[in-house]
Amino acid sequence: MAAEALKLDNVKKSFSGTEIIRGLNLSVGQNERHAIIGPNGAGKSTAYNLITGRYEVSSGQIFLNGQEITNLQPYEVKRKGLSRSFQITNIFPKMSVFENVRCSLLWAMDYKYSFWHMVGKQPELNENAEKIIEELNLKERRDTLAGVLSYAEQRALEIGITIAGGSEVILLDEPTAGMSVSETEYIVGLIRKVTEGKTLVVVEHDMGVVFDLADKISVLVYGEIIATGTPIEVKENQAVQEAYLGAAMEDH
Amino acid sequence: MDLIIINIIDGLIYGLLLFMLSSGLTLIFSMMGVLNLSHAAFYMLGAYFAYQISLVIGFWVGLIVAPVLVTILGALVERYGLRRVHQYGHVPELIFTFGLFFVIEESVQYIWGRNMVPYNSPESLNFIAINLAGGSIPAYKVFMLLVSVAIFVALYYVLARTRIGMIIQAALSYPKTVEALGHNVPLVFMGVFGVGTGLAGLAGVIAGPSLTTFPGMAFLLGSIVFVCVVVGGLGSLTGAFLASLLIGWLQTFAASYNIGAADILIAMGYEYPKDVYYHPWRDLWTLTLPQIGPILPYLLLILVLVFRPYGLFGRRDS
Amino acid sequence: MANGTNNTMSMSSVLPWIIAAIALVILPFVFTGGGSITIMNQIGITIVLAMSYNMLLGQGGMLSFGHAVYMGLGGFVAVHVMNIVEYQEIWLPLPFLPLVGGLVGLGFATIIGSFSTRKAGTVFAMISLGIGELIAACCIIITVFFGGEEGISGDRTMAPPTFGIEFISQKEVYFLIAFWVLVSTFLMYLFTQTPVGKMANAVRDNPERAEFVGYSMRWVRFVSFCAAGFFAGVAGGLFAINFEILTELNLNLNASFTVLLATYIGGVGFFLGPIVGAILFTLLQTVIGLKTDLWALYTGVVFILTVMFLPAGITGFFAMHLVPWHLGRFGMLLKPYAKIFLPALMFVIGAVGLTELVNHSRHHGDEVLMSLFWVEFNTKSAVPYIVLVLLTAVGFWFSRLFAREVKEAWGDATFVEGQGR
Repeated sequence: MAAEALKLDNVKKSFSGTEIIRGLNLSVGQNERHAIIGPNGAGKSTAYNLITGRYEVSSGQIFLNGQEITNLQPYEVKRKGLSRSFQITNIFPKMSVFENVRCSLLWAMDYKYSFWHMVGKQPELNENAEKIIEELNLKERRDTLAGVLSYAEQRALEIGITIAGGSEVILLDEPTAGMSVSETEYIVGLIRKVTEGKTLVVVEHDMGVVFDLADKISVLVYGEIIATGTPIEVKENQAVQEAYLGAAMEDH
Repeated sequence: MDLIIINIIDGLIYGLLLFMLSSGLTLIFSMMGVLNLSHAAFYMLGAYFAYQISLVIGFWVGLIVAPVLVTILGALVERYGLRRVHQYGHVPELIFTFGLFFVIEESVQYIWGRNMVPYNSPESLNFIAINLAGGSIPAYKVFMLLVSVAIFVALYYVLARTRIGMIIQAALSYPKTVEALGHNVPLVFMGVFGVGTGLAGLAGVIAGPSLTTFPGMAFLLGSIVFVCVVVGGLGSLTGAFLASLLIGWLQTFAASYNIGAADILIAMGYEYPKDVYYHPWRDLWTLTLPQIGPILPYLLLILVLVFRPYGLFGRRDS
Repeated sequence: MANGTNNTMSMSSVLPWIIAAIALVILPFVFTGGGSITIMNQIGITIVLAMSYNMLLGQGGMLSFGHAVYMGLGGFVAVHVMNIVEYQEIWLPLPFLPLVGGLVGLGFATIIGSFSTRKAGTVFAMISLGIGELIAACCIIITVFFGGEEGISGDRTMAPPTFGIEFISQKEVYFLIAFWVLVSTFLMYLFTQTPVGKMANAVRDNPERAEFVGYSMRWVRFVSFCAAGFFAGVAGGLFAINFEILTELNLNLNASFTVLLATYIGGVGFFLGPIVGAILFTLLQTVIGLKTDLWALYTGVVFILTVMFLPAGITGFFAMHLVPWHLGRFGMLLKPYAKIFLPALMFVIGAVGLTELVNHSRHHGDEVLMSLFWVEFNTKSAVPYIVLVLLTAVGFWFSRLFAREVKEAWGDATFVEGQGR
């Protein structure tokens, strides 16, 4: 049995004296689909930022496939096989959809800082990029500037950029935020398709999406995981209902 | 000893003058996120406006009216220029203010000519205020010092005690929050830009007679002011203040002590070459402190940015 | 696949370069007038410099206020090498001299880029400004290398002849420069097509996301910076060959500002932008610069207006007309454009005329006769003032009036159903 895909060991983070993440323990198995839920301000996005090296942790350790990745730079974390999306769309606005996807493939396909390859003459690179665009259903928008795509299309591209690098562990941050019902369906289907056979961690507010996608759910409240388990276990957990889920479930 | 005292006072005056520019620059940067590269051009405009007014009415009227005119002009520039460019992003804003510097400099040459203009201190201040064995300090410099200190106190009072000061202070630390509270309305931007450039204008009014009023004065002081705010840490008023004083003294002292590299080399045991003007190291042998004085700020800038990219007092996230 | 077959692709991508090469060969035989080759040589050097600058500003999003430093240093070393060659201490044919300049530019860019590319934006701009000031000040201090205020000079004709050419005439130098312009432009184009060139765009657009796809933004910037330094150095080498002298004026802040000006007016977002900018800027500088001493003022005003109203530069202005062109609605624009042309021209002539007239009466007050736009008149009479003020006012009024129509027509011509503008 291989090591856990992602493991957080007592990770803490404080901003100017205030502890936002107060001892986070999380373990995500290989090929697991793990959802993190919790009220606003619970520290979900902060946890992502700590894992991916955007923020430095105050204490604790983070492991990816058994290798420590604590406080590595974002690009080092990515190179080790972990990729993330953003809650607020974070794409390359002045480049075409195709260029967006192709750029996200470059490092994974070992081009590094090459200034002697012509990207146009790399058949495998371009075919892979085309394939991903097809998977994203963005073929008709291939040469459109990413900045002028519709919101749902940008969210799809966001996921495309995240998975393009071929990372084995994918972190998605509220992939369906601000979407209509039909758009949500499209994105959930897309996530299911493109993360096939990978480890997925997803932060999400839409409980329908969470129960649809996840094998396991962790509940994050005030910088701590108060419960982890299968969707059914979590749904029936008393503490969770009190802290968070009850209200959210009624809304749903 | 007397020379040291005179240098300390001279450096202080120069440093406070720098602070009058760097404080406005810092305020503008903190509120709007733009490093106003045309800042020193407004300083020059202050001097020229005051000169023009002093020709017609007199120095004291110019002292009041010229900064007001510069303030209005600055506000207009923000309203009709910068605000438009803002939508294109950060780099075009920088480029805009840089282009503005260029245009103002050329316009000044067009209007007042390429040579220096006889903008003089008023008769009433033409006497020696402090006499020391090593030199003297004219009354006008004391006046400059008083104005600078008055501005410094006023600025401190406004920032620490008034409502608008609170908003500005809050914007220095938490720009996003202040924006969310609905304070960063365009009017505040216009006001801050106007007042910031107005301060630069006032600096020009009082510096003009002492440092001479000529079209190159903006360029001469401009890059030094950028050094002050960057070394102090972009967005930090304390940093700008300390860096301004530091650079003021650095330049004043470097200019007045004629230490040559030759002295040091001889002290280290090297022999002074006979034909120094044909010696391969002639530049080193003839190098003097006043010669490298003007480049010391830039050396400081590069060193600070290499070792502390956010400046001495800058915050990481600014 | 969208790229089509490999053959047609290489054909269509090579064709523009062949055309450019032929054009470069023909040019000196078309423009034979006095001084035109001198101007073309100058344009060539500016093209290489502006394109290398655009590798920073346009492709990489780095605003530098000290790019002339790399050209200047490359040029200074090139002149020194020229002198060493003259005394036959080494053997180096002249056409290779730009390579020397390039390597020097590359070397200095490597040193300075190692710390300056850590941050983009304001910090990068300020470091470049500091370096620019520092090196310019060193010019006066380190006279052994920079030659003080007179600079240093050399003689290009003393190098060993290349295929019997000694580069005595301007035309011979022209072909040398043309060759290097073509090669440099081609290489810089190829650079934009490499992984690191593409990532430079990505870092410009969104540095943070670039890090999350595996690239260190600092390294990407560093590689671009070094490449830009190399080509700036090549421009310096060409400068050394063409002018045979370098002074502090070639690497001070003013020189760097000029590059920024030319590149930005041409259009930073486009590969061709800096070429357009370099040609236009040099032409205007040499043509208008001879006619008026207010040349710098006009340049500044044009520059500010470009930043405010045409942020994509002249190339961008033409490029944006591709949209109505493809929609087949280009014709809709012709009438409003034709309508605004005359008042706009009137306004420009009036404003420039007034500026010149005032300047003339102040600085050459004793000369009563003045010639402006091929019209000679008496500056002491009120007539020219009245005429020019009228021209300006009427031109301005109608320009504003018709500008609204242009705006509306533009909106109609570019409107696409279902796609927000």
